[in-house]
Amino acid sequence: MIIDSHTHVDESPILGWSDPPEAIIGLMDEAEVSRAVIMTYRDAPGPEEQILEYVANAVQKYPDRLIAYARMNPRYSDDAVELFDRAIRDYKMRGLKLHPVSYVMHPASEPTLDLIRHAATLGVPTLFHCGDEEFSMPLQIAEAAALVPEAKIILGHMGGYFHVKDAIRVAKRHPNLILETSAMPYPSLIKEAVDTLGVERVLFASDGPGCDPSIEVEKVRRAGLTPEQEERIYAGNIEELLGL
Amino acid sequence: MLIDAHAHLGASLFGHNLTTNQLLASMDENDIQLAILSPLKPLDYHFGPENDRIAAAVKAHPDRFHGLVRVDPWQGAAALAELRRGIDELGLIGLYLHPFEEQFAANDEIAFPLLQFLEERQRPLMLAGGYPTFSHPSQIADLARQFPNLPIIATHGGQINISGMLLADALRTMRANPNVIMETSGIYREDFIEDTIAELGPERVIWGSNTPYMDQGFETTRVRMGHLDQKVKAQIGHDNSRRIFGLASPDASH
Repeated sequence: MIIDSHTHVDESPILGWSDPPEAIIGLMDEAEVSRAVIMTYRDAPGPEEQILEYVANAVQKYPDRLIAYARMNPRYSDDAVELFDRAIRDYKMRGLKLHPVSYVMHPASEPTLDLIRHAATLGVPTLFHCGDEEFSMPLQIAEAAALVPEAKIILGHMGGYFHVKDAIRVAKRHPNLILETSAMPYPSLIKEAVDTLGVERVLFASDGPGCDPSIEVEKVRRAGLTPEQEERIYAGNIEELLGL
Repeated sequence: MLIDAHAHLGASLFGHNLTTNQLLASMDENDIQLAILSPLKPLDYHFGPENDRIAAAVKAHPDRFHGLVRVDPWQGAAALAELRRGIDELGLIGLYLHPFEEQFAANDEIAFPLLQFLEERQRPLMLAGGYPTFSHPSQIADLARQFPNLPIIATHGGQINISGMLLADALRTMRANPNVIMETSGIYREDFIEDTIAELGPERVIWGSNTPYMDQGFETTRVRMGHLDQKVKAQIGHDNSRRIFGLASPDASH
């Protein structure tokens, strides 16, 4: 079984983006992915309305296939925390997504920490976009991990193109960090992460539908892992993390 | 069958290395008929012997390899002389420039004499594309605008940014400059390949792996598993590279 820990659904005419849930569902079928964690490209709250509702509606349409994270904008401070709380309690979302490149704030800024703390209180993980750009690099997110050790924090893309070694380094220091495989192009570094950190610290994800889940599944297959390790990365770890 | 437009041979200052036999084994394993080789930056920084190494590999395996010259534009007249030697004496078929590793901006005038020489010889440029500060897609566009007759192959789709923040710039670069061709190694994301082909046609996309920096076997999946029809896969998998590098069509035995 394969569960994809990071995919997108969203439609925003003003940004020219259109990825209805059918886009990721079709690619999941091709890749034999049974379930996927979905999130928007937009942060909530934001200039457009009905952002979290879009994700909630997608899950309602495909309840056996899709699991929602709430993508939030910490710049709305207490309003963001309150809305996130509703997303988890009322919409039954399963995690927090943060993309600091989108809302331009340091990962260890106080309003961001408030959201991460709240996620930990509610028992759900925080998935950070983690690449090569300002406010999203592993060492920056590691500051948040140190300040909220009770939070489970996932480094999406595990450092991108140039910061994968940093992602492995900081995960070694902070046991509450988990690496996620999407979009980065190095199968051998997935193996290195597993060998260094232990298999329970790595999650499979695709960043679909922009990245092709079939190709992302194949990338992990080429990492040279044992069948038992693959099972943990493709499904076991995220099942445990989200209590599926 | 694939042509890998972007493979390196040698030992790199930056810790990557690949021998001829390792590369041939990987090509055989992954059904890659031909690779266009370019040098890695060696520990002693001297590209001359590396260009010789590439030429020797081509000579030893003419049915499997072609090669590109690599120079450092900061070497000025010596770089131009080495490019001339590589094309005219070693029989290499284009120039490989790596603005990030050689620390020059892709659109810096320092490289212009090299590019004028390529235009004269009607030989293409492969440019390590998308590296922060040195080969941002807008810098590639600025270069391409000034050398409209020079085919410029931008590696990594001309954008290396896992937030997708450079996708718009890379597409604008391709739209505005018909001489820019994108190579697909490590590319973010598959839909960027699909959308570019849908808008601009399949003639300006070529497959390459960037081995040993990237994984040659895994990179083949971007063509072989892509949401593209068979004709387009053949174009980006080999036909476009043959046209752009001026290679003969494969003989009947292939």
